[in-house]
Amino acid sequence: MLYPEIVIAGCGNPLFADDGFGPAVVEELQKLTLPDNVKVVDAGLGGPHFVFTLLDPEVTKKLVIIDIADFGAEPGSITKLRVEDLPPGSYRDAHSWDLTEPLHRIKDEVDITVIGCQPKIVTDPDMEIGLSDEVLDAIPKTVRIVLETIGVDYGTTIKRLQEDRQRGTAKSSGSTETS
Amino acid sequence: MSKVVEISPTTRHEGHSKLVLKVNDQGIIETGNWLSITPVRGVERLAVGKTMEQVPKIASRVCGICPIAHTLAGVEAMEASIKCEIPRDAHLLRVILQCANRLHSHALHNILTLPDMYIPGTDTKINPFTPEEPVRTVAKRIQRIREIAQTIGEIAGGEAIHPSNPRVGGMYKACSPQAKTKMYDLAKEGLVLAHAHMDFMIAVLRNYQKRDWAEVGGKQIKIPKDLGYHDQGYMATHPVYGSSSLDECPTWDPSRFKESRPWDWYMGESEITLEDPTYPVGGTTKMGTKANPQMEACTGVPCYDGAPVEVGPRARLVKFKNFDEKGTIGQQVARQLEYPDCLTAMISALDEYNPNGKVVADYIPQGDGSMGWAANEAPRGTDVHLAKVKDGKVLWYSMLVPTTWNFATCSAALTGAPWQLAEVVVRGYDPCVSCATHMIVIDEDNRIVAQKLIE
Repeated sequence: MLYPEIVIAGCGNPLFADDGFGPAVVEELQKLTLPDNVKVVDAGLGGPHFVFTLLDPEVTKKLVIIDIADFGAEPGSITKLRVEDLPPGSYRDAHSWDLTEPLHRIKDEVDITVIGCQPKIVTDPDMEIGLSDEVLDAIPKTVRIVLETIGVDYGTTIKRLQEDRQRGTAKSSGSTETS
Repeated sequence: MSKVVEISPTTRHEGHSKLVLKVNDQGIIETGNWLSITPVRGVERLAVGKTMEQVPKIASRVCGICPIAHTLAGVEAMEASIKCEIPRDAHLLRVILQCANRLHSHALHNILTLPDMYIPGTDTKINPFTPEEPVRTVAKRIQRIREIAQTIGEIAGGEAIHPSNPRVGGMYKACSPQAKTKMYDLAKEGLVLAHAHMDFMIAVLRNYQKRDWAEVGGKQIKIPKDLGYHDQGYMATHPVYGSSSLDECPTWDPSRFKESRPWDWYMGESEITLEDPTYPVGGTTKMGTKANPQMEACTGVPCYDGAPVEVGPRARLVKFKNFDEKGTIGQQVARQLEYPDCLTAMISALDEYNPNGKVVADYIPQGDGSMGWAANEAPRGTDVHLAKVKDGKVLWYSMLVPTTWNFATCSAALTGAPWQLAEVVVRGYDPCVSCATHMIVIDEDNRIVAQKLIE
């Protein structure tokens, strides 16, 4: 199914602890009722292989990518990146299907925002399930940033979501929920 | 006097692997070692104690390309262990999903191998990304085939990448009559494209077979007529889908399988004595570097009836359709022949599918700890998952993925090829290395002796 106007893709592997941030945010977003022109995808590890085939250049205008990013901040901090900020990769090796190069190719036609969260632990190559508290707490904030980016006002529901989340992880509540 | 050359990492496939090759004075491979250098990841350990619903979801995350195959094999291994038979319509949806997966995966592989091939009648290699004709039309066709496959996968499987619909006992949701019609329309469009694309690919492959040389790093390398030949035998469980029962399919018997240790199989430590800085991309490993495949290999060597076997498209065609062509090109041709098969199998499943039928079994047993297995014919070959489930919890879990089988077989197939073409042989197997990593070693008495070797 070709994608609609706005695509939100959560990337990462839940088997490597905080690398599961993207899919976790997608899970939260899927609980919301979003406009018909929005599609939320759990891209997992297959982002570069599967997301680009479904972008319809005639229709898709906005692409929001959610992933972890190491930008040297406190774990759980969120940053918004433009494609220009990402170093260009190239088509050459096993990891050649890197996300950056195709993004550079389409950036003039599609408005791309990358939302990155500073991870605390990425266990690669050992498998471990579960996000760290810091990164878990960043999920509601990220949901709000995504909604802002795509221009959807979700009113008080998001506040509720945030409170639920804090009740769920009482020991770290109130630490990062400031913005 | 033999020399040793190393290509690391190998390119244009999924994951991390390398080639250590012992070659003669003419550059012909005497001993080839192809090995995974992706570290051990331990999904089996993670699965223990989880519910039987969770484990297939975990398994689907080991690879970015084949989540569908791993989900299906995982779910069916659970069903085999708890002895649950699923309704016919649920099975049909899984077959549709399976075909969709194979279709988009083969199309992706074309993009990876086309740069080795030539435009027929010229000495120009194919660049799949060029805006120029005739390649542009082909690239667009590949793109459309993948679009069709992913869309059908999304309808039948719930999500386009990590399918959410398969569950232990069947499928969560049936597809509506409208969804069925949509899949049908797409499959019919896909069938026309698949025929055209298969013809194109086979023409390009046959052209390569007829050539005397291929250009690698600015040199003309002679292509041997027996490029990629081996005598290792084949293994496949079904032309399209797979099997989880010996009664249904006597060709895969877990008791005939044994995994040997990499240090019994691969070369020991050797020094690199041949180097070619012009080899794409970035030259081969520097002279004087040490290579030690025995210790570096991240996978065991699975043997069936005591020997490594080939799995994948050619194995399926040899076992079920009397295909008998050997070598790398034969293997590639077999893969292209599967294009229309994916769609005809999908169309027959759609024909039979009843949108009002039941998709979940009435009764789902919780398991008594007996061993169950499922062999799924993934795009790259037989993907076997084994599980023991008791009271809904997984006691033991193991995955035996396609590329693991092919490592040793392909290593044997390298003998006799010029080392510059070794990667062409490797790519013929459509390797997906990241999930191939798996390290459980069983000794002569079938006991597990080593979970992990490397520091």
